[in-house]
Amino acid sequence: MKRNRTMFIVFLAPALILFCAVFVYPIFRTIIMSLFKVENITSGMSEWAFVGIENYKSLVNTSLFRISMWNLFRIWLIGGLVVMSLALLFAVILNSGIRFKRFYRAVIYMPNIISAVALATMWIQFVYNPRFGLLTTTFKNLGLDSLAAINWTDSDHKFWALLFAYCFGMVGYHMLIFSSGIEKIPQELFEASTIDGASKPQQFRSITWPLLSGVVKTNITMWSITSVAFFVWSQLFSMVTAETQTITPMVYMYLQVFGAGNVISERNAGLGAAVGVLLGLCVVIVFVVTNRLIKNDDLEF
Amino acid sequence: MQNSIPKKRISWRKDVRLLPGYLILTLWVLFTFVLIGWVLAASFATTREIFKGQALQFPSGLHFENYVKAWTSQNVSVFFGNSLGYASISTALLVLVCAPAAYVLSRFKFFLNRPIQSSFVAAMGVPMVMIILPLFGIVTQMQLLKQDITIRLLMIVLYVGINVPYTTIFLLTFFSNLSSSYEEAAAIDGCSPIKTFWTIMLPLAQPGLITVSIFNFINIWNEYFMSLIFASSDRVKPVAVGLYSMIDSMKYTGDWAGMFAAVIIVFLPTFIIYIFLSEKIIAGITAGGIKG
Repeated sequence: MKRNRTMFIVFLAPALILFCAVFVYPIFRTIIMSLFKVENITSGMSEWAFVGIENYKSLVNTSLFRISMWNLFRIWLIGGLVVMSLALLFAVILNSGIRFKRFYRAVIYMPNIISAVALATMWIQFVYNPRFGLLTTTFKNLGLDSLAAINWTDSDHKFWALLFAYCFGMVGYHMLIFSSGIEKIPQELFEASTIDGASKPQQFRSITWPLLSGVVKTNITMWSITSVAFFVWSQLFSMVTAETQTITPMVYMYLQVFGAGNVISERNAGLGAAVGVLLGLCVVIVFVVTNRLIKNDDLEF
Repeated sequence: MQNSIPKKRISWRKDVRLLPGYLILTLWVLFTFVLIGWVLAASFATTREIFKGQALQFPSGLHFENYVKAWTSQNVSVFFGNSLGYASISTALLVLVCAPAAYVLSRFKFFLNRPIQSSFVAAMGVPMVMIILPLFGIVTQMQLLKQDITIRLLMIVLYVGINVPYTTIFLLTFFSNLSSSYEEAAAIDGCSPIKTFWTIMLPLAQPGLITVSIFNFINIWNEYFMSLIFASSDRVKPVAVGLYSMIDSMKYTGDWAGMFAAVIIVFLPTFIIYIFLSEKIIAGITAGGIKG
């Protein structure tokens, strides 16, 4: 028993110390910081000035922050719907008995292992490029000159260009999660219903979908966590300065605290902390709501 | 032979029924290939050819010098070396830190076990914005951002710390699936629990260790936000941030072919890992994703 205790300490301590240093302590400090006016991020707690919920109030009253939250919401909702539908569609097709399943699956997941900077550059500099880009050239060759003339990364189209490119990279991951859920459904159910004359869409509606609630929950949670951290894509689509089309809360926070502040008037790291707390809250709310709405799939097979 | 004929006919008919499915997946896959293939081709062309729309024709042959130029004059070699160092050292340390912790959490009942596990799972959902400001504050107060060597060490510590929850939880499920009869046999032979872990359990967990290490390596290689904040000088930047500053300076250099070469250089290591290990990675995603 005594030997066990040393083993406990030696084995657990490094992981727990790192966990406390990188997660527990910073989280609490961020929450506290969000209630203070902190002029310099490096200053100690003694120099902070308590302001209560002033930071949150001032964020809500800042139109750029409101825009960034609205952009995040659009990315989360519209992007989420697009990604989830494509991911589910691909997962169903992959598990419908097609050949080369592993090949298709591997290629569709591949964008997830590519550096987001590299992937976004491929989209911006190749697909959307107004001079030699894929869209422009394709539309030109099809004789659709009005479409070919569109600059996909100008401020009118930027948001949708960004969202589309982002979704392309995200489908693979969520497809794998859906696919693992579908694979767990006993094959006999499909066989039996095929014998009874059910079509593929009918099978999907009455077998696959009801039994997928667990993975739907996982997917929504993971999608929300990644959406909240939306940053690189935004930065790459607006290299020079933050634009209202592409700004997200994390970009706003970055500019507020670290930025070459061409958009930020007031130096206050407490505002940045408040952004962090709000984003954390968003994840928690989504998590609680999905858990309430979607019942666990404790169905007996 | 008799059986195989009707079977074949049925499967062919099935393929026709699945045609829309094939079509959708093939189009998507084709687009992925065009996207990466074109960038690869452009990385061997000249900027002038790219602008003329001749990236795929190579009228003046393959220009390997794009790579040489990106590698040497654009600092890509430095970024590459940094990333390689950060990713491999952090990945190794993560196994060293998390495997013992995961083992203890999977094997022993004690009152903090469940709370620790749940907080690790919860931490996987914590956005980086919630932890970055205090980390930056503390690190600057400790004067750690003044010297290259301390920045490098700091990056490694942070990469390890950030990935502790995921790695531990992943390995925990792996250890739980190992039979405890090995330890019982070792205990009867008088082997201490600590020794049992290092000599028997850790080698048994090797498949899980490899999978989680692949993930950690790829994640750290691609990590962007934290490096952007902490690794500000060119000498300590990893590839993702380095590539960004390179693209940023494109406005002045106008070397598009070189930029595409840099994109390929950044993309290649994880891509090569993926080509060889995609099945393992995909299996790991579905195992870990459900837990998360």
